[in-house]
Amino acid sequence: MPPILEVDNLVKKYGDFEAVKGINFEVEEGEVFGLLGPNGAGKTQTISMLTGVIQPTSGTARIAGHDIRTEMNEAKKINGLVPQDLALYPTLSARANLNFFGRIYGLSGKDLKERVEDVLRIVALTERADEAVEKYSGGMKRRVNIAAGLLHHPKLLFLDEPTVGVDPQSRNHIFESVMRLNRERGMSIVYTSHYMEEVELLCKRVAIIDEGKIIALDTIKDLIALLGGGVIHVGLERVDDALLARLSALPGVEIAVLIPQPVPPPPAEEEGPEVKEREPVTATPIVKIVAENSQKAVVSVISFLNEQDITLTSLEILEPNLESVFLHLTGKKLRE
Amino acid sequence: MSALSVAFKDIQIFLKDRGALFQLFLLPLVFIVAYSAVTASFETEEQDQRIPLPVVDLDGGREAKTLLDGLDRAGGVQVELIDEKDATQMLEENEIARLLTIPEDFTEGISEGRTVTLRLVSHPDASLEKTEAVRLVVEGVAQDMALESQILASLQQMGEMQANAPPEYQEAFAVEKIVAQAQSQFDRSQDRPLVTIEQTVPGQESEKEELPSTAEVAVPGFTVLFVFLTAQATARSFYDEKKIGSFRRLMAAPISKASLLAGKVVPNFITALIQTAIIFAFGAFGLSLLGFTPVKLGNDPVALVIAVLLIALCSSALGVVIAALARTESQIGGLSTLILWGLGTLGGSIIPYFILENMLGPIPMALPHYWANRALDDIMVRGMMLADVSLALIMLLGFTLVFFLVGLWRFDFD
Repeated sequence: MPPILEVDNLVKKYGDFEAVKGINFEVEEGEVFGLLGPNGAGKTQTISMLTGVIQPTSGTARIAGHDIRTEMNEAKKINGLVPQDLALYPTLSARANLNFFGRIYGLSGKDLKERVEDVLRIVALTERADEAVEKYSGGMKRRVNIAAGLLHHPKLLFLDEPTVGVDPQSRNHIFESVMRLNRERGMSIVYTSHYMEEVELLCKRVAIIDEGKIIALDTIKDLIALLGGGVIHVGLERVDDALLARLSALPGVEIAVLIPQPVPPPPAEEEGPEVKEREPVTATPIVKIVAENSQKAVVSVISFLNEQDITLTSLEILEPNLESVFLHLTGKKLRE
Repeated sequence: MSALSVAFKDIQIFLKDRGALFQLFLLPLVFIVAYSAVTASFETEEQDQRIPLPVVDLDGGREAKTLLDGLDRAGGVQVELIDEKDATQMLEENEIARLLTIPEDFTEGISEGRTVTLRLVSHPDASLEKTEAVRLVVEGVAQDMALESQILASLQQMGEMQANAPPEYQEAFAVEKIVAQAQSQFDRSQDRPLVTIEQTVPGQESEKEELPSTAEVAVPGFTVLFVFLTAQATARSFYDEKKIGSFRRLMAAPISKASLLAGKVVPNFITALIQTAIIFAFGAFGLSLLGFTPVKLGNDPVALVIAVLLIALCSSALGVVIAALARTESQIGGLSTLILWGLGTLGGSIIPYFILENMLGPIPMALPHYWANRALDDIMVRGMMLADVSLALIMLLGFTLVFFLVGLWRFDFD
């Protein structure tokens, strides 16, 4: 079966700034695919291009075989978008909002009425459907937001950070809805988030995106396997190449590398020609140790540092999850 | 279909916004009443004052002085003696509305009992009512003066005749004979007045332009002002759509950009039409209930409908331009205030355009409000027909097309 979404070297530029730097991925029919990355990584820009909200600078994508550059109108009938913003009219009721978005997709009469009732049932808001959306809680608004994207029975649904700012109960309800849509209706879903727990829960395959590029794409299991037997971050007073080589040779250690640390900028108030020369500011070096066996590696590293009388300033054993994978791959945390 | 859905949704949202409903439908009526009341009070004060009457006295004699004193005493006019050389130019340039000329032979003519003619010339734009009032005052004073002069002359003549007459003829000068003589002189003065007034208007071929009443100024002016103010609602509607994110959702739907824009413009268009209907209905029927002169809607309903449709369309197009230029809510507020109130003021919605033309020359002609005001004024106040206002309507259509093109060119769909 051909993929429902094929993304081919998609680029978005704003002047000299490249927001999306030529990304490629595919989504199989019936798959829940995760796009994981920190805020500003390019997830929303990518989705905006795929749904026709903005035009790509170059590259293209095919949705159920329809090229988004030449057959966007056909593609729009197949996909649905649940935007990150609460794209609802607050003074109108949930039902009036849904009626409007249904009509925009060409629905009318009995068909529209049935679809509205159907999506209200999915998001469990039938009883309060005639209240103005502005009176809803954040979670309820999110659920209406999702319902509006389901009205035209899309085969491919883009969910852009659908749980931002919602309470745990509504979040669980959204997860259940997503899983049910996928399981019962065979809907393919592209789920973007900067919460790795959500992606781990819902998706089988994940693309990790950072600074407009996909830096890893695989199943969650295989992505976590990138961590090997585990990853340990060790803070040291001083580091040199000889020390890194000796750490790499320790039992249980696969490799030890220095994580580049950004030098903090000088305080603004000290800038200026009349300011006295100050001491250079240096960050404490952090060494990343990829372990064959994390327990064994921790013991041998601490013993070695004690023997060498090198002061350990910090020690962090990364859990085997996507957050650690992201940290491992970029040196940054997902929510930085 | 999609455009209508967008329009229907926007109207639903608009109907729930009580502040907007007040601003669009009630505020214009409040402005019209306030404006009419304030300017009407100025008019009343003006009516209490005497009408200036510049006079050129070519005679300078005793009878001329008596006439001028009589005019001053009569009230209603304020005599201002001016030089003959300046008078014609001042009248041509509308610096003075009317001019009374006392001829060289005025005193001599009166004294000799022959008819003399005063000349009253008024500017084509001068108020007919005021000119008529001046004519009546001058006529009254001149007639009194001539009558007095004739009766006195008659009595003097009879006195001289009585003094020289022999005693047997003194009976002919009995009181009843003197009264009969005075009556005869009075009748003669009515049939053959000694002083007549020749009233002329230079360039009579140019129709006298009556100044419209305050309500006639206020209703079309504020209609134009407030219809164009709805452009702000259009711009804000685009902004709100982007702010809440629904614009992205609409862009992701199978709806063309043209349909989306049309859907956003239609509610403004409908709002403007309803607003106009309410203002016109209030002008025609409501003002009289409040003691003001009601306005007429002119003699050509087709011309009026076309003008209203074009003004509403032009306002909607201007809304797209503001939406395209403004990026933030405060920019929309600032730009709207600057553009819409600025254009309204300079385009003759608050100060009538025929006054602004005198102050600003052709500048107001560069503004859509000017042509909108001119179209409505010509149709409603001057009773002009479609063909007579075609230039204003063509100009409005031109502005509409330019605004739509600029709006589409500059609008950021991303």
